[in-house]
Amino acid sequence: MAATQQRNLFGGGRQLIYPWLLLLPGLGFYLLIGVGPSLATAIYSFTDATGIRNIPISWVGFDNYDEFLFQGARSRDNLDALQRTLIFMVLVTVIQFGIGLVMALLVNQKLRGRLVFRTLFFVPFILGVAVQGLMWKLFLRPGGGPMDDLFGLLGMESQFLAGTNAFYWVIVVQIWANAGFTMVIFLAGMQTIPTDLFEAAAVDGASGWQLFKNVTWPQLTPAVNTNFLLNIIGSLQAWMLFLVLTGYKKGVQVLGYVVYAEAFGQTGTATFRQGYAAAASIVLFILVLVLGMAANAFVTRRERKYL
Amino acid sequence: MNKLRLRSLLAFLFAFALIAAACGSDSDTASDDGGSSDDSSSSDDDGSSDDSSGDDGAASGLEGTLRVLIHQNPPGVEFFESFNDDFEAANPGVNVEMAVVKADDIPTVNQTRLNANDIDVTTISVTGFDKAVQPYMSDVDTPFWQQLIEAGLLMDLSDQPYVQNYDEAAIADGSFDGGVYSLGLGRTIYSGVFVNLDLLADVGIDVPTTWDELVSACDAVTDAGFKCMIAGGQDGWPVFVGTYGLLGALYPDQAGMVEGLWTGDLKWNDERGLELFDRYATYADMLDAESAGLTGDSAGPRFAAGDVAFGPMGAWMAGPIDDAASFEWTYIPFPGADDAADNQTFFGKYDMSLAVAAETPVADIAHAYLAAFSDPATYNDFANATNYLPTQPTAELSNTLGAATAPILQQGNFAIGQEQLYVNPKGAGQWAIGREAALWLYNGDFGDPVEAANQVQADLESGLAG
Repeated sequence: MAATQQRNLFGGGRQLIYPWLLLLPGLGFYLLIGVGPSLATAIYSFTDATGIRNIPISWVGFDNYDEFLFQGARSRDNLDALQRTLIFMVLVTVIQFGIGLVMALLVNQKLRGRLVFRTLFFVPFILGVAVQGLMWKLFLRPGGGPMDDLFGLLGMESQFLAGTNAFYWVIVVQIWANAGFTMVIFLAGMQTIPTDLFEAAAVDGASGWQLFKNVTWPQLTPAVNTNFLLNIIGSLQAWMLFLVLTGYKKGVQVLGYVVYAEAFGQTGTATFRQGYAAAASIVLFILVLVLGMAANAFVTRRERKYL
Repeated sequence: MNKLRLRSLLAFLFAFALIAAACGSDSDTASDDGGSSDDSSSSDDDGSSDDSSGDDGAASGLEGTLRVLIHQNPPGVEFFESFNDDFEAANPGVNVEMAVVKADDIPTVNQTRLNANDIDVTTISVTGFDKAVQPYMSDVDTPFWQQLIEAGLLMDLSDQPYVQNYDEAAIADGSFDGGVYSLGLGRTIYSGVFVNLDLLADVGIDVPTTWDELVSACDAVTDAGFKCMIAGGQDGWPVFVGTYGLLGALYPDQAGMVEGLWTGDLKWNDERGLELFDRYATYADMLDAESAGLTGDSAGPRFAAGDVAFGPMGAWMAGPIDDAASFEWTYIPFPGADDAADNQTFFGKYDMSLAVAAETPVADIAHAYLAAFSDPATYNDFANATNYLPTQPTAELSNTLGAATAPILQQGNFAIGQEQLYVNPKGAGQWAIGREAALWLYNGDFGDPVEAANQVQADLESGLAG
């Protein structure tokens, strides 16, 4: 029956080609700006490309990968960056997920001013990285910034973004900037849950925790899975906040920032190494792919369980 | 119905083709508003124009838009804005479009805009043609300026008369493989210390001339309730720049030091290296905690508040300090050595260097622009506005910085510093650049100078072994 409807939509015979023609523009765009650059990056990763026209590009095989992963103390720094990327992902995903969920639960209550709070919680997300970074740089300024004053009242001191804990302060900013988006997805999910489920459970004497555990949480499965995947992939790719907040600081940068810095001469070596940067980005891509696929498998299983 | 669908499909494809055509028409547009003078304009092979006016700055008859790129440097930007107005007034057919970017972004923006032939006169570097590969170095990448020259993206200025307005050393710095590719518009010192003379007088001490005197002076200043030193530490730079003077005091032959590190004749953790790191640690202790919250730009005005004795900063801070300070100040070489006679050299770099894009369609305007800028009177104003040490022999700084530095510079005691000479071996770790170690000790990355020195040497050797 469905097949018949499909045929009827575009007619029969040669007209069956229409859907493929309609697909062409989108497919072309996807190949041009999605698949094309990705394939080019993979190819460039085996070359000594500088990104400067007129400079010949030579095939160097796996040299870039060898240098990135195995050569000298530099590879130690790169693996440290890889490790920091994973730490960043885990902390951001877990904490942002939790905070977003709590915020969504709060602003989903029939409380006065909830619309204002929904807006306030979401506003950081739309500010953009430059504004987010500037705000927090001022807020975390050692020697007179608001957070420094607060630390002073508590008898504590920190160099914040200038110190050795800068990495963790960037995590704080990343979560602050994106928790509102996580909240919105949860909130949308909560508003699709039929109220009669809550009413029935309440009649059965379910407590607040039981309502959450047995009604809200299972019904939120699509939102949970979406947030889980978005948080993981988003945090693996995040590096612009590092650029704005700390610059290329030793012991702080994540893999995405290493890629940018190597490609555009920001490492202090003043050379353009786009072939090497491409190799680093392929390593990052593999990391995102593996973790993304694992996360996807996890959420698929979860969906089968609850839906 | 089917015809209707077909028409819709064709209409959609037509619309798509229009959009694609619009997206692809950028080059024409750019040519209209950027390329300006007609592309047929009389450029010959080396980019010079048949109309060779401009050698004396008189560029009447020129027409077109000149795209200029400079880096963020408030007095420099202000000067260029004024200069551009004057240039446009003298050449009514010329429009100057100037873009300003952060110094850190100069390599990136040059790469993209030169690749796209979207710039005519550009600040090719804010550190001169530095980090050149030396014969004793192996398996290192060439610096970006060399890559751009070898790619044929920069114009050889050798035959341009205005080049001769600059001194030999500046021309040599902008040269490569027999050609002159940039004009070094100034040198700057990064190894000096601003000294609050009134505060020292209040405390009753003299300007220190040796390391021990500096340490003692710091104690006396803090005992008197003032702050010893501040520098900009918020962005990880330039808080350690003052210690380039320390480095220079202990290693006066900076080029020899770089070669020694590469060949293994010198080590960061040999006797002299450990002495240096010990002094780095002392320097980190002398810096006031407030430094961590100061950006590079705010450190100068903060020093000008008057309650700090020493400001180990680059000479580029002289302008903001002079504008804000209500006390007498001077600028001295960092007294890092034990003998005062060894503390008589300023170390620094070439700063803003201008180049011309090889494929500029307005080469005649670009040359006229540089010729007008290089006019001795104009250049003298520029040097005094920016506090660059002049690279034209006829120019001189007639301000406080000029007076403070003249006794040393007149003896020829200016040397290019290690930052411009050192090239990190491939595979070297992140701690291999030992000249920055004072920052790491200040930040707490290392608690002990010996530990830091050992780590620096290990990271360097890791690269050398590769």
